[in-house]
Amino acid sequence: MTPPPISVAEAMTPVAKPGDSKINRDLLGVMEGVSVGWLVLLHLAVGTVIAAGAVWVYQVYAGLGIAGYTHPVFWGVYIVTFVFWVGIAHAGTLISAILYLFRAKWRNAINRGAEAMTVFAVLTAAQFLGIHVGRMWKSYFILPYPNQRGLWVNFRSPLEWDTFAISTYATISIVFFFIGLIPDLAIARDRATGLRKLIYTALALGWQGTSRQWKAHSRSVLHLSGLATPLVLSVHSVVSWDFAMSIVPGWHATIFAPYFVAGAIFSGFAMVLTVMIPFRRIYGLEEYITDYHFENMTRFLLLTSWIVGYAYGIEYFIAWYSGVEAEQTSFWLRLTGPYWFSTWTMIVCNVVFPQVFWFKQARTHLPTIFIVSTFINIGMWFERYVIIITSLSREYDPAVWNIYTPSWPELVIFAGSFGFFAQFILLFIKGAPFIAIAEVKELAIHERAHAKQGAH
Amino acid sequence: MPEIARRDFLKLVGVGASGAAAAGCAEKVEQLIPYVVQPEEITPGNAVYYASSCTECSVGCGIVVKTREGRPIKLEGNPENPINKGKLCSKAQASVGRTYSPDRHKGPMKRDANGALQPIAWADAIAEVAAAVRANPAGTAVLGGDPGATAGDVIAQIVAALGAKSATYMPFSGESLREATRLVFGVASEPIFDLSGADLIVDFGAESLESGPSPVEHQRQWAEARDIDAHSHDGGARLVYVGSRLSLTASSSDQWLAARPGSEGILALALARAVVAAQGAESPNAALASGALAGFDADSAAAATDVPAETITKLGGALAKAKSAVALPPGVAVTSRKAVGANAAVLVLNQVLGAVGRSVTVPAEVANAKSRAKYRDVIALVEQMKAGAISVLIVHDSNPVYSLPKGVGFADALAKVPLVVSLATAADETSAKAHLVLPNHAPLESWGDVRPHSGVRGVMQPAFSPLYDTKAAADTLLEIARAAGAAVPTGTFQSLVNAAWADTDSRAALQRGGVFEAATPAANAVFDASKVDAAAPELAGGGDMTVLAFPHIALGDGRGASLGLLQEIPDAVTHVLWESWAEISLAAAARLGVENGDILKVATAAGEIEVAAFVRGGIRDDVIAIPTGQGHTVGLFASKENDGLPGTPRGVNVADLLAGTTDEAGGQAWLTEKASVSNTGRHRRLPMLQFSDNKRGRQLGEVMTLAALNGHDEHHGDDHHGSHEIIKEYDPADDAADAEYAATFQARGEKSVKESPYRWGMTVDLDKCTGCSACITACYVENNIPVVGEAEIRMVRPMTWLRIDRWIGDGFTDFGNEMGRIQIAPSTEKLGEVDVRNAPIMCQQCGAAPCEPVCPVIATYHNEEGLNGMIYNRCIGTRYCANNCPYKVRRFNYYDNQITKWPTPMELGLNPDVTVRGQGVMEKCTFCVQRIQGARQEAKNARGVDAQIADGAVQTACQQTCPSNAIAFGNLRDDASAVSQKADSKRGYHALHVLNTRPAVTYLSKVVRGPAV
Amino acid sequence: MAELVGIYDAPGDVAAAAKRLKARGFTDLEIYSPAAFPELDDAIDEKPSKVRIFTLVGGLIGVVSGYALAIWTSYDWPVMIGGKPFAAIPTYTIIGFELTILFGGLATLIGLLVVGGLPYGTFGKHDAAYSPRFSAEELGLAVCCKDRDVPEVDALLRAHHAKEVNLVPAE
Repeated sequence: MTPPPISVAEAMTPVAKPGDSKINRDLLGVMEGVSVGWLVLLHLAVGTVIAAGAVWVYQVYAGLGIAGYTHPVFWGVYIVTFVFWVGIAHAGTLISAILYLFRAKWRNAINRGAEAMTVFAVLTAAQFLGIHVGRMWKSYFILPYPNQRGLWVNFRSPLEWDTFAISTYATISIVFFFIGLIPDLAIARDRATGLRKLIYTALALGWQGTSRQWKAHSRSVLHLSGLATPLVLSVHSVVSWDFAMSIVPGWHATIFAPYFVAGAIFSGFAMVLTVMIPFRRIYGLEEYITDYHFENMTRFLLLTSWIVGYAYGIEYFIAWYSGVEAEQTSFWLRLTGPYWFSTWTMIVCNVVFPQVFWFKQARTHLPTIFIVSTFINIGMWFERYVIIITSLSREYDPAVWNIYTPSWPELVIFAGSFGFFAQFILLFIKGAPFIAIAEVKELAIHERAHAKQGAH
Repeated sequence: MPEIARRDFLKLVGVGASGAAAAGCAEKVEQLIPYVVQPEEITPGNAVYYASSCTECSVGCGIVVKTREGRPIKLEGNPENPINKGKLCSKAQASVGRTYSPDRHKGPMKRDANGALQPIAWADAIAEVAAAVRANPAGTAVLGGDPGATAGDVIAQIVAALGAKSATYMPFSGESLREATRLVFGVASEPIFDLSGADLIVDFGAESLESGPSPVEHQRQWAEARDIDAHSHDGGARLVYVGSRLSLTASSSDQWLAARPGSEGILALALARAVVAAQGAESPNAALASGALAGFDADSAAAATDVPAETITKLGGALAKAKSAVALPPGVAVTSRKAVGANAAVLVLNQVLGAVGRSVTVPAEVANAKSRAKYRDVIALVEQMKAGAISVLIVHDSNPVYSLPKGVGFADALAKVPLVVSLATAADETSAKAHLVLPNHAPLESWGDVRPHSGVRGVMQPAFSPLYDTKAAADTLLEIARAAGAAVPTGTFQSLVNAAWADTDSRAALQRGGVFEAATPAANAVFDASKVDAAAPELAGGGDMTVLAFPHIALGDGRGASLGLLQEIPDAVTHVLWESWAEISLAAAARLGVENGDILKVATAAGEIEVAAFVRGGIRDDVIAIPTGQGHTVGLFASKENDGLPGTPRGVNVADLLAGTTDEAGGQAWLTEKASVSNTGRHRRLPMLQFSDNKRGRQLGEVMTLAALNGHDEHHGDDHHGSHEIIKEYDPADDAADAEYAATFQARGEKSVKESPYRWGMTVDLDKCTGCSACITACYVENNIPVVGEAEIRMVRPMTWLRIDRWIGDGFTDFGNEMGRIQIAPSTEKLGEVDVRNAPIMCQQCGAAPCEPVCPVIATYHNEEGLNGMIYNRCIGTRYCANNCPYKVRRFNYYDNQITKWPTPMELGLNPDVTVRGQGVMEKCTFCVQRIQGARQEAKNARGVDAQIADGAVQTACQQTCPSNAIAFGNLRDDASAVSQKADSKRGYHALHVLNTRPAVTYLSKVVRGPAV
Repeated sequence: MAELVGIYDAPGDVAAAAKRLKARGFTDLEIYSPAAFPELDDAIDEKPSKVRIFTLVGGLIGVVSGYALAIWTSYDWPVMIGGKPFAAIPTYTIIGFELTILFGGLATLIGLLVVGGLPYGTFGKHDAAYSPRFSAEELGLAVCCKDRDVPEVDALLRAHHAKEVNLVPAE
């Protein structure tokens, strides 16, 4: 046969070294090495988890009595904190799914972090379902499994809906999260060595980034977004029905579903900001997470703050307009009763403070954003506290009206939930790209290509 | 050894004890006659009933002891007993717990050198006492309470034979009344007051519905005398209450005259004079007006009593007009130094009203503890003890170290006695100071009898073999006397009881619980008002507030405090429990700058105590009222031992404020001190279970006027008319949920499931409920409800299935400034006004129960008979059901009560028919479903598998014991049943009916009859 | 046989090259890309992705099983609850909805794995052509051709601004 032409002979010289890029180096760099600060935080987080775990074991042994429950307030800080974390869990899916459907490309830099927080927040919330029941060792009764006693569950119960909604939400967010992660794991695989290489090789499932894989990948993300969008709206609606389906004055309201969803997005974005701002600062990722991102998110805060503010207002209006004395009493005592402090904290943190975001200076001034978003987290916890505790403490029979105050075990477990959440975030930062590299590249490569064509 | 004895007993029970075995030692057996027809041998699972008598107070109610496998588990009233006719009070209901009290002495014990009690053999102990007695018979003293009739006689004989000294001490003995009766009628007996058929009752602080002469009897008679169905036209009897605080009795009255405490006598005579005046010249008592009543014109009386002269005159007129008016004499709380005069005055009033012979019987004297009780003797004995003249003191059936007023100085006197012997059944302050403890049997283990008044003799027979190595007090004394060489009757105490009953058909007596005849009026009773004179009480001390030490309805003279159950029954007026409190008026509170729970310092000449304030509108400004019965330093529940503070008193003993002075008769006076009250600045939230008496106009405790009931003015009765409409539009019997249910099963060929003929329902007549709380106590005992203790109560976690909400009027809906308040609203009571609604709240067994749909695991559901079932095994404790229950009747087990809340041997008293609930599950009222199933079984056994449960065959525990018959229970689908009849009443309404929960409980509105004048 | 890989910076060039190559009959292609680019989706295979079928079927199974579970269990052992009907359809809608999402989502994941040839799927002879630089910021277009076609393919690749063209060493 004829020898191949020179050009091909040249071409035959094997590829010099695997190419690499700044984006890879920057974003994978986050995963390398551990700082003292990181270790301290991790120990703090794990420490609180261990403390909370010990208290919980004691509670299972001794009985729920160590919590501050009192007749007639049968739900306390545990349920409050459960709702709080479920709320936090909403930003991730919202950013990934809804903004994806709206083709809001600016999400690419933050969606990975947000999704991670979603998964971890749901896991945190799920703990409280077990913590708050009287016989957690029997809590599997709530699952509809076949048994020789022929017993089934009550699908009419909001708590049963809750079980389905939370478990579905957890599953879907994990799937969504993992699918988004595969290409980045492949990137890590190609650059890691030793044990890490093995792990990433396994996790990356042999991803090569062929056009077929990418096609299937983007279709999957599209369909999952389509599924997750109604899901994210439904989950907190279902949680809200844990209350709205009852006849308790202050709970029994039709506005609860949208009210809770808005609140969830509100608190979720606040938490994303609370985590992202220090993260970007510490790892110097200003060019990936830009002020533009923060400004957009603060706009969301402003919007949702108005929605919850409206909900607060409408609740009082309906209480007055309904003419139901029990409702009016319940709401009036929220403002002026024993829990006035919680109520006003909620209103100030959730409705008053966010108004600073009318001003661009505030929307782009990170310390302000950080402080306000932290206050929003506090305010949103108190919102659930107000809804649950004050309503229960002022029900239909004034003879048994009574005051609930949290006990120390509840507060320890409450603190533990933050440790539980934080430990996952910290480990994740080191375990996988906290910013979706592939999606960032998508933008970068496009820009470069256009620039080139411009040059031609 | 006690352990052995107990093991034997348990073994016998274990083998499904035969009657003989279960009832204990063989020689007793052939005399145990079951109250109902007894099967050949005890069948495990079948209850056996024994008739006996209650010894919690001296009224002498009959009881029926329900035993299972040989263990007493529940007391119910003896229907044949004319006094209580099958009903019981809280104290009696709880008293089954005495048998299983952890405080019980387990055998004879001797105090060793370092003050600890060590076991000792009976023989040695008795020999030791006998030696001491023989050494100095005259220096021997027997100090006792009420041991029962024959026991009392026997002990008297023993004391006489020994030539020893003796004194009988009963804190609430009512000596002044007997003395007054002697003054007025020449007979030193206690008159019997019969309220049935009365149309106007004046209660001069007798507290006739709670702690008076015969509370259960008087509640029943009062309820019958004003039964609205029988007296719909005029509403029946009116009750006028004279007293300084809105007590439980006052709460049920139609008119409250807030007279100065101690001025009852003056008021009575003034009323008598007004009556005579109204009766006119032909009055048989016209002479009195110029005689005994001369000094008691309305105006001077008004000045002395603080009751308007006009009211006195008008009430006198009403009394004169009344067909059958009766007046009840002053009670313990207002027994002042002038109590004899006051009691005599009330008797004179009764005479003037012509009540004597009609409603008031002056019976022949009978010998019983009351007739022997002489407080004066006790004082004398204490003086001798102080003088060192007493070398042996034997104490039985009383606890003088606790109950004698501080001023008497009994503790010091006791220290001077070389040998103190206590015959107490359970540890108390006195046996804690005794050198020898020779424990008596518990009441349900004892033979004996009671003789409350002429005509009534009740038996006491053991329903249980002695749990420990104990001996009847009388036997102990007999053996001591014999060993000391005294000539005392031969034989055991039991044989002496038999001898005492020889004149009767003792078998019949044992079956019926005694011999019951009408009281024989004293032949020699002659009315003579000449020696009667009422005067204001002489109060010691320079303080500005009168100390009113009133008997606690459940704890009584302190005996109740050792029963945890009675500690956990909230006082129906204040809803305070496990603690003492001091009631002061709003004005007094403002003056002192205190609110609920602030600690007050109360100081009298005799002593001082610190007690938490309870601020209320329903009490005179110049009175501070403190309940009796608390302040024990010994006892698992009586003291704070169960809270880890042994020796720490629970609450305060109000007797520590009293000098222990006597009335003219030598009886113990309670209204003797003025106190100076100050604010210590410290605060401790009172353990209480109701924080607001403001109903905010919700449908919880409804009333309707007599006019509205008779359809006179529709406007006035609108609301109640409305609630009547609710009944019309929804009849619980029409609850058809089970039709679809049955159809579903039928459709798949499971023919056994049929549409149920039952819809169990209940009616609660608020017009009859006094709030006495006997129902709550009965519910605890019947349903194994744990007593959670003060710590948990402070967390407001009672387990009670039944509570009584107490409302003042319809309430109001403005709030005032409530920032940070625990107490929702200050007491809305007003002095001299009565608008109290007691509303017992139990599970309403809703047809559309809000609790059911929210349970994720179907742990609570609806059964085909309309009951709202609760499946403990399925419950995982989400507590949503409790959140969603508008009546808030569900209770959650925060701890493992079945292990922690029944210290040994209390678990022996559990009802085997009712599951004991474990940690982490919800529980609530079941309408006593175990009783329904029992009745169903009986019906089947008697009349075949398809037999229906007859109306009245099922009585819930609360209904069974209610002294005023306020509760009816039965099948709403049977139109003939009593409960259906009542549920159709025009007064009927459903609690919170706006929620459309379709309750099976129908409340019957209280009827406002308006003041008597 | 030989395999050539063209290295590119712009997805548009890759798409154009692929189109041209297919037009010239070189159909054995594979594209490697560090990120998802819509223009590349149909460069090799115009047919719509099959993932959609997985999602649809999963969702349908979910909604049916959701209602079925709730309704069947409530008749399997009928219990009277709060005076509500045994099959309280409005409340069971929640269950139907949640299971729709759950099964649909899981089916989508399976769809991705199947269609995307994961895990560790193989793509004909192309596997050897993968290089870590494709998980950096460069795109690759791999072409299998007969030895004699190498020069033409090489030229074609370069004609669409390939930075370089490498001959994949056959192992």
